[in-house]
Amino acid sequence: MMKLIKTEWLKIKGYNSFWWIMGLTALSYPGINYMFYFVYKDITDQKNASGQLFKMALGNPFAFPEAWHSVAYFSSFFVFIPAVVVIMFISNEYTFRTHRQNIIDGWGRGQFITSKLIDVLIVTLLITLLYVAACLVSGFVTIKDGDGNNWGQAWYTGVFALQTFAQLSIAFLIGFLVRKAFIALGIFIFYFLILENILVGFFYVKVNDIGRFLPIEISDRMVPAPAFLGKIKSPEVYQESLDRIPMHVGMTIVLTTIIWLICYRINSKRDLK
Amino acid sequence: MSIVLSIDNIAKSYGSVKALKGVSFDIPEGSVFGILGPNGSGKTTLLGIVMDVLKANSGDFRWFGQPGSPEQRRKIGSLLETPNFYTYLSAIDNLKITHAISGRGNEAEINDVLKKVNLYDRRRYKFSSYSLGMKQRLAIAASLLGDPKVLVLDEPTNGLDPVGIAEIRQLIIELRDKGHTIIMASHLLDEVEKVCSHVAILKTGTLITTGHVEEVLMDEDIVEMSAADLAALAAALNSWGHSVTVDEKTNTVQVILPKGTASLETFNRQCFEKGVVLNHLLLKKKRLEARFFELTNN
Repeated sequence: MMKLIKTEWLKIKGYNSFWWIMGLTALSYPGINYMFYFVYKDITDQKNASGQLFKMALGNPFAFPEAWHSVAYFSSFFVFIPAVVVIMFISNEYTFRTHRQNIIDGWGRGQFITSKLIDVLIVTLLITLLYVAACLVSGFVTIKDGDGNNWGQAWYTGVFALQTFAQLSIAFLIGFLVRKAFIALGIFIFYFLILENILVGFFYVKVNDIGRFLPIEISDRMVPAPAFLGKIKSPEVYQESLDRIPMHVGMTIVLTTIIWLICYRINSKRDLK
Repeated sequence: MSIVLSIDNIAKSYGSVKALKGVSFDIPEGSVFGILGPNGSGKTTLLGIVMDVLKANSGDFRWFGQPGSPEQRRKIGSLLETPNFYTYLSAIDNLKITHAISGRGNEAEINDVLKKVNLYDRRRYKFSSYSLGMKQRLAIAASLLGDPKVLVLDEPTNGLDPVGIAEIRQLIIELRDKGHTIIMASHLLDEVEKVCSHVAILKTGTLITTGHVEEVLMDEDIVEMSAADLAALAAALNSWGHSVTVDEKTNTVQVILPKGTASLETFNRQCFEKGVVLNHLLLKKKRLEARFFELTNN
C-alpha cells in the first residue's frame, strides 16, 4: 500500500493543475462560509427588534458546536471543484495511455484502481483538513457566542469526509467510464448542480421525497441544512432530517462500495485500449 | 535452453474481426525473437495479451513457466506501441514512476539508462517538450531500467532517425551478446534479419511459420554458380535434371533444390568432370524480405 501511495504522490506532486485547483478549493471553502457568516452578522447586528429576535431564536450557526454542522453544509456546495481534480486524475491516465503502461510495468489491474482510490482518499483528506480548519477558525472567532461545548458536533467531520468521498467517487466513476475529461466534467457538473436538484425538487412536489435516494442526494442528506435554516422551514422536518442521518450514512457507504466494486470489476475484465 | 515465453493457442476477436486465430509458439531464452507480419496481422494484439493489457478470448501463455502475473511483468522491460508517459513530468520523474511500479533499477541507474539513450542532457525537460524520436528513446530507457533479462519491444525504432536506428540496433546486439532475451515486433525486415535469431511470421491472425531465422529463410537450397562458359555450365546442369535459372546480369546460374539436399562438393566435382571449371559456388539463403513476401503472399 505504501508503494502505491508513493507512486501516486510522484504523479500528483508534479501536476500543476492539481495544486491550482486545490488552491482554488482552499479559497472557496472558507470563502463560502465567510460569506454566509457576514450575511448572518449583517442581520443580527441590526439593533432593531427583528434582528435581535432572529439572533435569540437561532443562536450563532458559526459558533461552536453548531459551526461543525453549518460549515460542513456550506462547504459541501463546492465539492464539484475537487471533483475536477479527481476526473483529471483518471482521464489523464487514458489520455497519456499510462493506464496501460502502469499494468505493463507490473501493477495488477486491481492495484491500478486501488491507486486511484488512494487519489480520491488523498483529495478527501485534504478537503476534510480544509473543512476542519474552517470550522476551527469559525468557532474560535465566535467563541463568545458558543455554549462552551466546542466539540459537541465534531462528529460532522466524519460525515463530511464520507460525503466528500462519496461524491468524489461518483465523479471518479463518470471519469472512469467516459474517459474524456471535458465530457466527464460536463456530465458530473450538470448532474451535480442542475439535474439532480431539479429531480429532487420535482419528486418532492409531484410524488414524494423519493429524490433522497438519488446518488448525490443520498450523501447530501447526511449533512442536512443547519439549524438556523432548518428551523425556519419547520422544526419537525428539521428533526426528521437529523433522525435520518444514520440511514443516509448507511446508504452512502453501500452506494460508494458498489461504485468502487464496479470500477474494480470493469477494469479487471476489459481491454485496456 | 529453457523457454521464456510459451504461447498456447491464443485467440482474440474484436467483434466480428478475428485478430488472432489460435496462435502457438515458444520463445527460447537468450534469443532475439522477431514477430513479423503485415499491418493487422495481430503482432501488437499478441504482445498486448502477454503483457495483460488485452484479454484473450481463449488460449494461454506462460512467462518463465508460470502463468502471467504482475510479478512476472516486473521482470520484463517493455515498449508497447507508443511511448506512454506523464506529459507534465520530466524524463527523470517518469522513470521514477517506472521504478516505483516495477521495482527495476534505482536512482543511479535512471541516470545510466538516460545516458545510454542520449537523453541525459534533457533529463529535466518535460516529456511534452520531447520530439517523437526523444519520446521513443525515453521509452527504450524505461524498458532498460534495472537491466531486465527479458525485453518486449514493439517497433523499437519507430520515429528514430537513421543514426538512432543504428544505435538501437547496436544496443539490441549488445543485449543479445549479454544473453538477454529480446522479443521484438517490427515492420523493418532488414533490421530483423540483422539482429534476430528467431522469427515468427503472422498473417491475419494466423501463425505462418516460426523457428530459427536460418531455418525460416532456407526453406529450399539455392546453389549459385558461375563459370567462364555459362552456357556450357547451364547445359551440364540441365543434363543432370536440374531446373536452372540463368542470370545474365550477374553472370551466374541458380539451381533450386529441396531444403538440405544441396552438396556443393558434388556440384564442384561433377562440373569439373564435365570439363566446366567453376569460378563461383555458393549456397545462398533468401533475403528475409523475399521470404516474408512469399509467406504472406504480398
